[in-house]
Amino acid sequence: MTTPSRSTTPLLELDRVAKAFGSHVAVEDFSLAVAPGEFISFLGPSGCGKTTTLQMIAGFLAPSRGTIRLEGRDLTQVHPSKRGLGIVFQSYALFPHMTAAENVAFGLEMQRVSRSERTERVRAALAMVGLAGYEDRHPRRMSGGQQQRVALARALVIRPSVLLLDEPLSNLDAKLREEMQIELRQIQRNLGTTTILVTHDQGEALSLSDRIVVMSKGRIEQIGTPQDTYERPASAFAAQFLGKTNDFSARIEGASPARIVAGGWSAPAPVGMRGPVTLSVRPERIGFSEEGLPGRVAARIFQGNHWLFQCETECGPAIVVRPNDGLPQPGEGEAVRLAWRPEDMSLRAGAAA
Amino acid sequence: MSRNGPLALAFHGLFVTFMLAPIVVVCLVAFTPEGFLSLPTNGFSLRWFRAIADYPEFVHAFWVSLGLGALSSLVAVLVAVPAALALTRYPVPGRGALQALFLSPLMIPHVVLGVAFLRFFTALGLGGTFLALLAAHIVVVFPFAFRLTLAAASGLDPALERAAISLGAGGFTLFRRVTLPLILPGVVSGWALAFIQSFDDLTMTVFLAAPGTETLPVRMFLYIQDNIDPLVTSVSACVIAITMVFLVVLDRLYGLDRVLAGKGSH
Ligand SMILES: Nc1ncnc2c1ncn2[C@@H]1O[C@H](COP(=O)(O)OP(=O)(O)O)[C@@H](O)[C@H]1O
Ligand SMILES: [Mg+2]
Repeated sequence: MTTPSRSTTPLLELDRVAKAFGSHVAVEDFSLAVAPGEFISFLGPSGCGKTTTLQMIAGFLAPSRGTIRLEGRDLTQVHPSKRGLGIVFQSYALFPHMTAAENVAFGLEMQRVSRSERTERVRAALAMVGLAGYEDRHPRRMSGGQQQRVALARALVIRPSVLLLDEPLSNLDAKLREEMQIELRQIQRNLGTTTILVTHDQGEALSLSDRIVVMSKGRIEQIGTPQDTYERPASAFAAQFLGKTNDFSARIEGASPARIVAGGWSAPAPVGMRGPVTLSVRPERIGFSEEGLPGRVAARIFQGNHWLFQCETECGPAIVVRPNDGLPQPGEGEAVRLAWRPEDMSLRAGAAA
Repeated sequence: MSRNGPLALAFHGLFVTFMLAPIVVVCLVAFTPEGFLSLPTNGFSLRWFRAIADYPEFVHAFWVSLGLGALSSLVAVLVAVPAALALTRYPVPGRGALQALFLSPLMIPHVVLGVAFLRFFTALGLGGTFLALLAAHIVVVFPFAFRLTLAAASGLDPALERAAISLGAGGFTLFRRVTLPLILPGVVSGWALAFIQSFDDLTMTVFLAAPGTETLPVRMFLYIQDNIDPLVTSVSACVIAITMVFLVVLDRLYGLDRVLAGKGSH
């Protein structure tokens, strides 16, 4: 799968979807078009409405407002058992009274697929997730990772139009989680199944997705490719949630040409902005140079393949990450000047908090 | 047992002794060759077991009890399962009040229930009938079936049913293939407890039973009012033997620990 082009008709469309529980608004004004084959992540902190949105797509919750369309068809009146979506739950939700093969076969039985075809497809699905030979195991006798794979096979074997994953990897330990991420991405690419992943792990969202939907308090903060959302976060929230960032208080000064000024650092300002602004730069995009924002190294921490500097500047504290390339690095207490390329920063109106 | 100190061991020992001693004594007395209640010191005899055959009322009462227990526990379970599922799945208005209502027979003394049902069924012209007995038993055994079924249903991960639904299961298929198998331990436990409650009840039943609808406990109660001979012990021994067989079968089929604890299958 290459990055899907925006011109293809969307497979799944959410149009100003909202959900309120009583007076509590869990999801608000959620609009998204998912292209066929796309891998989308809903990323946000716990309680921001990711699961609620997924449940509305799955049909287990009815939207308070808005419409959801699958292949152009309004899903509102379609029962969840008739939507043909594959779902992997956080708890895996494997049927404990069935073997791995029976679990995977369940959806095919519901579709009245013939016994011989069923056996063949179940075998292939289990082999695809690396569980050939585990057909007769019961879930309780399998590890978390193996149960996760069975759940994935069970959701994929019915050839769903969209695969929905709700924090599927959060119960696995770090090493297994990384393996499963790679495997999930490979399987998704091979099958070309349109996928929506719910996660609060920014690393997971960045490494797996074609596009990320950054959410906060029931609202979409930003939709974009992983690179977009990381390098050009649209809001303070998006910037903070997708990895570390530095927020400097800066000003737009002068007119024609206006310049953006942060202490001793300045660059041509984009048109249309005035007054105090917040300037955001990722720690790894800041370098030490001859001129720029003056500061002092408060702490220097060695982290193997890179150095981490905590600096104090007149525009606020700064974190700088430099690769450990063997060159001499400023020491603690040393005066430094911080500089970055204008294209590596993002600007927001208003002073930094 | 290694974690238990000597005091705890003594307590357990005493407890088990108090539980088992009456049963053992009753079974021993049943084999006495004498004509009065005594331990069989002069050898064992089966005369009191043969004597049961001379009192067909006992055999008839046994069948009444068995039928009553089987029917009342069955009806209780058939009502308890949908009730428990509805209460755990849907935002039923007045859920707390409904649950309290379903469990209320537990809190009313059986003597009171007996008198109340007697008046009620007599007024309906159903006094002393098997139907009246059955209705009363359904009411008193229902809480047992309901409580254990409710525990199993509320312990069920809702994601399991949602997974089945997303795979295309709906309506009765969902119930038969996923929901019921998962709550079955609770249902079977509830059914077994309900059956035992019905089979065992004397206090309420003695008000409602008439000649022909006497249950085994009622028949035995009436018998010992007039006779003090070992016949009731041999009948008791038979009931104990049948209970043991019942428990062994349940254990083989199901695992007794699961039935008695009412746990889910996972
Ligand atoms: N059934 C419900 N009733 C009331 N509030 C709910 C319900 N489900 C979720 N919420 C609330 O909606 C918000 C979003 O929840 P959720 O979608 O589960 O968040 P996330 O999956 O992003 O952690 C939370 O504040 C949560 O408390
Ligand atoms: Mg969630």
